[in-house]
Amino acid sequence: MPTPSLGSIPTDEQVFIDKLIAIRRGRPGALLGVLEATQERNRYKYLPLETLRYVAAKMEMPLARIYSVATFYALFNLQPQGENTICICRGTACHTRGSRNLLQGARLELGLGLDGGESDGNEADKLLLTTADQQFTVRTVACFGQCAMAPVVEVNHRICGHATERTLQREIETIRAGE
Amino acid sequence: MPQKKISIRIDGELISALEGQTILQAAKANGKYIPTLCDLDGLTSVGACRICLVEVSGSERLFPACTTPIQEGMSVTTNSPKLTRYRRISVELLLIERNHVCAVCVSNGHCELQTMASALGIGTVGLAYNFPKLSIDMSHPRFVLDHNRCILCTRCVRVCAELEGAHMWELTSRGIHARIVSEMNEQWGKATSCTSCGKCVHACPTGALAEKGWAVEEMVKKIDAVTSLVHRRGAQV
Repeated sequence: MPTPSLGSIPTDEQVFIDKLIAIRRGRPGALLGVLEATQERNRYKYLPLETLRYVAAKMEMPLARIYSVATFYALFNLQPQGENTICICRGTACHTRGSRNLLQGARLELGLGLDGGESDGNEADKLLLTTADQQFTVRTVACFGQCAMAPVVEVNHRICGHATERTLQREIETIRAGE
Repeated sequence: MPQKKISIRIDGELISALEGQTILQAAKANGKYIPTLCDLDGLTSVGACRICLVEVSGSERLFPACTTPIQEGMSVTTNSPKLTRYRRISVELLLIERNHVCAVCVSNGHCELQTMASALGIGTVGLAYNFPKLSIDMSHPRFVLDHNRCILCTRCVRVCAELEGAHMWELTSRGIHARIVSEMNEQWGKATSCTSCGKCVHACPTGALAEKGWAVEEMVKKIDAVTSLVHRRGAQV
């Protein structure tokens, strides 16, 4: 069992995680709840490796197990996320209604370029891009389950149906204006 | 409490087996062969390879023998043209998923995947190869991990977690991106929980995990050493 590298994460975070674990101890699937709440508390909405190490040590779980769970679920981020998240559906229904153009439009609008990800032929790949100023994260998802409203875009956890390049551009402008 | 005995038919022959056993366990106990790549004596069954699919009369579905518990009066068929077809597809899909180049593999001639492919009569693969770009981890002083030869059977994961108790291996990501990973995606040589026992290497059915210092065709896995350990310890899984 790895020794907890105490002191490698802030004390307040340690206290927060200890409480989470204490509440959930012994329950099946406790790890998921702990990781979710920990990520939500993080300023950049992600799970740094040091945090995962701390959780592993406190929950007495192998590091590999924690890493496996954190990478299995798309919900968990191991990279810092931008302040605003734009999630574009690349499911079949949205694809046929032009979601690739939406994705490319958003990438160009935010200055993320079109290199990497889908242009490499990895169509189904999960794409995750964050702007250099940490303001925006663009990601793709396989399906929101809102196919009747295709193409669907999620802006900061709000679903926008029948999205067009123009409406997506307006959403980005609104967020920028509100800063 | 003694376990209840129940009767099932395997390929028409009536056998008695213990309640709670899987089809594969019952078949093995009675000397019946069901092909499999991911099953290993003494480890939990995960149903990863889909080679052990069998027909159960009364159902159109095929069942993985390693994870399906037996039921009273069950009639199982372990070999049929339909099963061979499905097994062949499963092995072909394993072959296209990574870069399995037997000619340059340390396990050539001693590889369970290769043996399975030839037993199923796979000479050529009718599907397009993926040719993924994968890494090789040479960081461990004695062993090497080659993702190109991995079939994700998770024997290494289970043998490390259940038999050695180190649980250094796990699967990361999903689907086509799934990989075997040591600890938190660190190099094997840097993993502190690895005891260098080599059980994962000898449990591995292909050349994905191998000892260093062997040339092509020279890596012979001592799989019996791993399974006999289970029996000597009397482990019940």
